[in-house]
Amino acid sequence: MKKYLEIIWLVLATLTLFAYLLGYLKIISTFFVAILLGTTFIKGTLVIEYFMGLHNVNWKYRMIPTLWLVMIISLIAIAYYLPVSTV
Amino acid sequence: MSQSITLKEKYPPGDFAIWIIIYVELVTFGLLFLGYAFSRRADVAMFNESQLMLNQTSGFINTLILVTSSYFVIKAVKSITSMSEESVAEANAKASKWLLLAIGCGVAFGFVKGAEFYHIFGQGINLSTNKFFMFYIMLTAFHFMHVMLGSLILYIIYKKTKTEGYTFGDYRGIETGASYWHMVDLLWIVLFPLVYIIR
Repeated sequence: MKKYLEIIWLVLATLTLFAYLLGYLKIISTFFVAILLGTTFIKGTLVIEYFMGLHNVNWKYRMIPTLWLVMIISLIAIAYYLPVSTV
Repeated sequence: MSQSITLKEKYPPGDFAIWIIIYVELVTFGLLFLGYAFSRRADVAMFNESQLMLNQTSGFINTLILVTSSYFVIKAVKSITSMSEESVAEANAKASKWLLLAIGCGVAFGFVKGAEFYHIFGQGINLSTNKFFMFYIMLTAFHFMHVMLGSLILYIIYKKTKTEGYTFGDYRGIETGASYWHMVDLLWIVLFPLVYIIR
């Protein structure tokens, strides 16, 4: 796993390209928004764990940004998927 | 059994104060992200229409730039933290090269963002245009300031590597600056799909 940083960069770049193509080709649907939020979570987790270097740190410091990411992405999903009241 | 246990570091890398700042920044930006997401519900059509005026390509390029800069920064950190007492000069020289590339990315981000703002403001759009653009300008301009500050921090670290300022066992400064830079990257990773793509 000597090249794990290069692999992480490649995953981040590929997922970024995937997100861009979804937008560029205008194929954003409710299904793809879920996929997009899932890939955003993966990207954020990779940055937190391996670039910020928290994968080898006491769990309480590691959990703070991870919980932040989970909460933000979940609440964005709720804001997107919750039916809009027309009353 | 004991051989399979991996010892965890007690504290995150860098100065502990930077982590307090990082947590506060995450909460601040988090509230703005949620403000955007829930405000959108009030007028989805207007948000979608306004979003079409953004240049998704520049958002994509800037995401790639930040992700790549984070890679350069972690390579610089690894060069320093893996040094031995005999390889101080070599490690600092290596780190300075990685940092210079990361700073270049910060400058490139600034140029792309500047061109995007020039285009948007050139159309007469401002904070009062509508709620979408209020959030777009607030979020991206606020984030842009963080990129500029992060680039300055990386430059200060770069100057220190040029004088072989990091020695064996003394590299808290570079870890502190790197943690801040990765936070800037993390924020953009959420901001890009939220503001530029999701509709």
